[in-house]
Amino acid sequence: MDEKKIREELRIWILERSGATPDRLARDDQPILDEGLLTSLDVVEFILFIESLRDEEVDIEAIEPEVFNSIDTLVEAFFADSPTACEARS
Amino acid sequence: MATALELAPRLTDASRRKVWDVHSAFDWPERLTPGETWFMSPELISIYGTEAFDGLDESARMTLSFYEVVNFFSFVLYGERPLISGLMNRMYRKNTEGPITEYLHHFVDEENKHMVMFGMFCNRYAGKIYPEKKIVLPREYAKGEEDISFFCKVLIVEELGDFYNLKMMSDKRIEPLVAKINKVHHVDEARHLGFGRELLREMAADFVPAWTKEERERFQGWLVQYLLSSWGDFYNPAVYKDAGLTDGYKVRKMALEHPTCRAFRAEASAKLVDYFLDVGLLDARPEF
Repeated sequence: MDEKKIREELRIWILERSGATPDRLARDDQPILDEGLLTSLDVVEFILFIESLRDEEVDIEAIEPEVFNSIDTLVEAFFADSPTACEARS
Repeated sequence: MATALELAPRLTDASRRKVWDVHSAFDWPERLTPGETWFMSPELISIYGTEAFDGLDESARMTLSFYEVVNFFSFVLYGERPLISGLMNRMYRKNTEGPITEYLHHFVDEENKHMVMFGMFCNRYAGKIYPEKKIVLPREYAKGEEDISFFCKVLIVEELGDFYNLKMMSDKRIEPLVAKINKVHHVDEARHLGFGRELLREMAADFVPAWTKEERERFQGWLVQYLLSSWGDFYNPAVYKDAGLTDGYKVRKMALEHPTCRAFRAEASAKLVDYFLDVGLLDARPEF
């Protein structure tokens, strides 16, 4: 899965989960947590979704809540080194 | 009905009479072999009653039961960690009466032993504890809401856990060590649940009537989501993967949406939901 597709999958999941209109996450640097699009309880489910995209578990102890700030920070934290993103770049 | 303050000395006495040592309470077999016996009652397995379960042969179902019980012990262990921390933070407060603090010492002691017991089982036989995926984000609370939320979390982890403990502790089909761990847990939890239910009932009566309509709705929304999210712990993609099922995330999604599994969750949550309705923390039964 290439990075563009990953960004789109993340956006669709967040919008579906929050029930928000697409304009609230039109850009990849728009805030997710500050806008209240995800709660702590959503994050649990979201991490499992991220794992399914990465096909690799997330080490929760190695991340800070700030990684959920925006789609940009999510991609940077979870997909920069993942096999899928690497494949897309190579 | 006895108040939490009246219950506390009786529970303290019971804890002292039934004190046990986690390091000598169990005979740990050298090894356990997944696939050769049941480790969880098959009816409690998260995908029981689905086509995915029906498609497995008995050995594969038994293997799945092993990873399911390791997952069960793992998330109860992780649920007990903030519980212990929260209980300790509530000891010796100005408004925590002496007998309650005294009982909290036993509550913490017993929860600590449960963590040791679950951790030993998981590490010894599975070589790991399934990690939790929770991140706590800051949120705002109405007056009293933080304590009420804390004891709701306590009750949810303990009531759901106890539903499973009760079924497994007397199930002759499952590995005796697993049945015994469930029994030991249930005996302590029965006291914790009695205390927690009463304390939460009193807190709800003290604070909820003063909350605004918006605060009540926000709290109830959170409580429903927390309960549903707690059920999510039972459907772990890593468990399905370890048991040899393909695409654990899809299996989880299927099971969470499957009518048989939803009906099971509603049945297993009924006592808890009835309690929340009774004490005024919920106005309506949630959809599972």
